[in-house]
Amino acid sequence: MLTVTALNKTYPNGKRGLIDVGFELQAGTVTAIIGPSGAGKTTLLRSLNRFITPESGTIELDGLELVGATRAALRQARRHIGMIFQDYNLIEPLSALENVLHGTLGDKRLLPGMMGLYTHAEKKRAMALLQEVGLAESATQPAKSLSGGQKQRVGIARALMQSPQVILCDEPIASLDPQSTATIMTLLAKLAKQKQLTIIINLHQVDLAREYADHIIGINAGRCVFDDATAALDDAALARIYAQEEAMVNG
Amino acid sequence: MIETPVTSGLEPPQLDLTVPKGIRSRSRTAVRATLGTLLLVTAVGLLTLAPGQLGPALLSLAHNLKLMFLQPHLGQDTLAQLLGALGLSIALAAYTTIIGAVVAFACALLTARNLAPAWLATTMRTLMALIRAIPTILWVLVYAVVIGLGTEAAVVGLSFHSVAYLTKAYAEAIEAIPTAKLDALRTSGARPLLIIRHAVWPSVRGSLLSWTFIRFEINFTNAVAVGAAAGTGGIGYYLFMASAFYFDFQEVGAIVYLVLAFALVLEFVAVQLRRRTA
Repeated sequence: MLTVTALNKTYPNGKRGLIDVGFELQAGTVTAIIGPSGAGKTTLLRSLNRFITPESGTIELDGLELVGATRAALRQARRHIGMIFQDYNLIEPLSALENVLHGTLGDKRLLPGMMGLYTHAEKKRAMALLQEVGLAESATQPAKSLSGGQKQRVGIARALMQSPQVILCDEPIASLDPQSTATIMTLLAKLAKQKQLTIIINLHQVDLAREYADHIIGINAGRCVFDDATAALDDAALARIYAQEEAMVNG
Repeated sequence: MIETPVTSGLEPPQLDLTVPKGIRSRSRTAVRATLGTLLLVTAVGLLTLAPGQLGPALLSLAHNLKLMFLQPHLGQDTLAQLLGALGLSIALAAYTTIIGAVVAFACALLTARNLAPAWLATTMRTLMALIRAIPTILWVLVYAVVIGLGTEAAVVGLSFHSVAYLTKAYAEAIEAIPTAKLDALRTSGARPLLIIRHAVWPSVRGSLLSWTFIRFEINFTNAVAVGAAAGTGGIGYYLFMASAFYFDFQEVGAIVYLVLAFALVLEFVAVQLRRRTA
């Protein structure tokens, strides 16, 4: 379970990124964060693994508090938080398998890590994960030769390699065609149920949020204005979430 | 998507693309006038510099060039000696390049802005720019004062400049890796050293190899020059002796061809290397 309370973030230029954001997410669910551009979706997502450090508030993952955590404790906690990105962020010259094995680096001790030694068990698990995302036959291909959708699946396998409790997805389908989008979103929804993961996805498309998410968090101008099951997302709620944008369009 | 205006195809699009004439022709006139003046000054200068000697001087230049390049011949030194000396120069170049590459990789990690803190990156960058601003040969001479004329000064001096040169090249290769890719591993809790080993190194090793090879070519040139200038030995020393000491232009030609042959080999390897890493 991931519990967030009273998260605040102000940027050096005085812009308020997050204002008193709080919510609670259950394992085994997909949560979509939606809201207008610049509302603070990315700031929120990146605060969750303290990639951005909030000034106040708490983020608690299975009893471990992240906002006040020391560097070592944070590194420990991050092992349980996987992340996937719009641009996949794979190491392009390396094979798909090697990229998946990068998911073990958080647990690696320095010496075997520097020598690039992976145990047989790790390699087997990486292969199993590639199989799970449907890319076992591309394991030895360099990442740069894969298509966007395939790269994102390697990214997911890399995140899964961490045996995470949480996977943060930063606009995971923004660079993909509709078919790959469906593949990725279905895969994420399936994995959340199967592995009891807490999956949090930043999305621009309300339709996709409706279709794949169990829970929706609506962010507007740094505030959490909606936090409920997907079924509760009605027109009034949408109007609230996207209020600023319409105000701007209408002058 | 850029919208292109749709035309029916019946009427030609009304385009008004007249180039303002004044600017172009004025700058062209200026260029022509400058070049013409320079040509005139050069011609007058050459003719008045050494009246009557220009002809004989050109003839003797042609004669010497002919001796060097059309009639190369070994004189004082045997081919074995020259090949040994060439080997020495190559070894000096290789040795200093390897030292430079190893030290420079460590320095580059402290210079690349996506790895090192900003203050350190800026300090390293400035330091390396200062070292690079002074030519390699001067560094060799500086170290010759410190260590004494000879091989040690050449090795230290050549390595020193190689480090500064390669640090810049390596750091720029590292900076070409999008920060987000490194962040992706940081967010999984990986230690910085492991990120360098598993993300930075595989991403840059191709361009590192090409840069190192380019530096090897530069160091070979320097090693030849240093052989004469700092008494390091090698093919440069033989070249210096043959030309300035014995005035044996035929041997100078032979040595130049020897160096040229090796330079061609280097060029060939460089092309192959580039093809493979590209």
